[in-house]
Amino acid sequence: MTTFFKFIKKHFSIGGIFKWTLAIIFLIMALFPIWWMFNIVFSEPGIPIAINPRLYPTSFSAGIQNIKDVLSEANVLAAYGHSLTYAFLTVIGSLLLTSMAAFEFALFDFPGKKILFALVLVAMMIPTAVTLVPTYLLVAKLGWVNKMQGLVVPGLASAFGLFMLTQFFKDIPREIMDAAQIDGDTHFGVYWHVVLPLSRNALVTMAILTFMTTWGNYVWPMVIAKNNDIITVSQMINWYNDPNSFMTVNLMMTAFLLAAILPIIVYIIFQRQIIQGISITGLKG
Amino acid sequence: MKYWFRKTLKHYLMLLPFFFFFSVFFIYPIIKGLNTSFFKWDSVNPAVFVQFQNYINLIKSRDFIISFTNILKYVSITVPLGITVAFSLALFVNSLKGPLSNFFRSAYFVPTMMPLFLAASVWRWMYAPEVGIINTALQAIGLDSINFLKNPAYMMFALIIVDVWRSAGWNMVILLAGLKNIPNDYYDAAKVDGANKWQEMIYITIPLLEPVLFFVIAQGFIFALQVFDAPWLLTLSTTQGYGGRLKALLFPVMDMFGRAFGVYKFGEASAYGFMLTILIIIITSILFIVRRKD
Repeated sequence: MTTFFKFIKKHFSIGGIFKWTLAIIFLIMALFPIWWMFNIVFSEPGIPIAINPRLYPTSFSAGIQNIKDVLSEANVLAAYGHSLTYAFLTVIGSLLLTSMAAFEFALFDFPGKKILFALVLVAMMIPTAVTLVPTYLLVAKLGWVNKMQGLVVPGLASAFGLFMLTQFFKDIPREIMDAAQIDGDTHFGVYWHVVLPLSRNALVTMAILTFMTTWGNYVWPMVIAKNNDIITVSQMINWYNDPNSFMTVNLMMTAFLLAAILPIIVYIIFQRQIIQGISITGLKG
Repeated sequence: MKYWFRKTLKHYLMLLPFFFFFSVFFIYPIIKGLNTSFFKWDSVNPAVFVQFQNYINLIKSRDFIISFTNILKYVSITVPLGITVAFSLALFVNSLKGPLSNFFRSAYFVPTMMPLFLAASVWRWMYAPEVGIINTALQAIGLDSINFLKNPAYMMFALIIVDVWRSAGWNMVILLAGLKNIPNDYYDAAKVDGANKWQEMIYITIPLLEPVLFFVIAQGFIFALQVFDAPWLLTLSTTQGYGGRLKALLFPVMDMFGRAFGVYKFGEASAYGFMLTILIIIITSILFIVRRKD
């Protein structure tokens, strides 16, 4: 024991111990809720929390049964499908719109550029709260309530996405484009054949961030996708949360886990791009 | 003239798709919303022009006052607390090297990847009486259990924990990038001059990080002022009843949402959006003014 204390004394100062204690407490706080959600799914349901506080998974088969039960619920897979379609169309559409505009803002000069870009910057400051109700009214007028286009289209022209891609595109060397232009490529051709392939990293980052925000969008689907044949994952979670649906905690947690699993997998795969993308908003903003 | 036109036209053609959707689904709704805010309208009966009546009704309404009081209380705690936590995490991760640094950064960032509606749903169960892990822990050490989401004394606090839990990782990543951007020469020079860690922090780190800190703080305020998902889910709100017991978690966007989609007062809801925007503009302007003074 004394050697242990000697070791501690030699390698850590009081400040060091304090720092590491705090760091580990924060680590536990950051991961515990997700870990707990996972454990509830993979535990025998019905055992009181005082007896099994769900600090670690205790029953693999119970978890599989929970997952089977939730997936056999009529709307769950459909909701997954709708959310995937919603996210996929939003990613493709907004990448196309924002990258075309960012191409111009980052690499060319033309009359009115400053005013248009300033408009985009101002738009980033305007709260979505202001546009929520009037955009809903517009979508309703177009007859797009409970339709996929109602979910997707209003979110396509993302000021934030345009701003971010513009920052990325500024790093593209002009010489490469000039060379392409001399080779007789059209304006659109330069964008399509030169700039897009060169900025694959930036586009992937943007795609992932857009996917994450779309998957996590709660308010807009609540307003637009009310029918069962268009309900998204966030709406499905709403239904599980509703006390009138009389769901048990383990089934609820299973639904949460199933909704969280996709973003978590995406994070594990694309961690580097996500962190890079977020970092750049702060440094260039 | 013709040549000039041809030369610039190609730029506008590329901008057209974005600005078309931007105008139709962003600029037009704002203008239309401003217009709607002067009408009494339920989307079924014809709209009636009522001048500033919607705004006056709002200012007089009890819920409006509660929600604005709540939001000011909320942002004044959650933003400073969240930034402090994020900054501490960033400093800690920055002090580490190699795989250990990457490990802590990735781990602290994980909560950010949970969609907010899921984070709030899970935390609602963490807080729950009887089955929640927090109350189980409190009872295990001999304390009384607390109904975090029904007792107005604790509700705001419970929400702030969820918000800080979810947002700290995001801000940490931005601040960390800022810290990495500070050239090491400054610290070397400070060491030569015999500065201690605290002096390094006050005279080097914070001044050089100021633009990034400002960005994070301003963004934090703009997001926090529009808080919706977490309080809505923590209080199990519906358009028929929202804000939780004694409306302790009633916030502007929730109130606006209820007025629009609960009782179909679209004029009033539009006016609400503009009142909230004015609050956001005031708060961000204060931030900019304070910054310029320093």
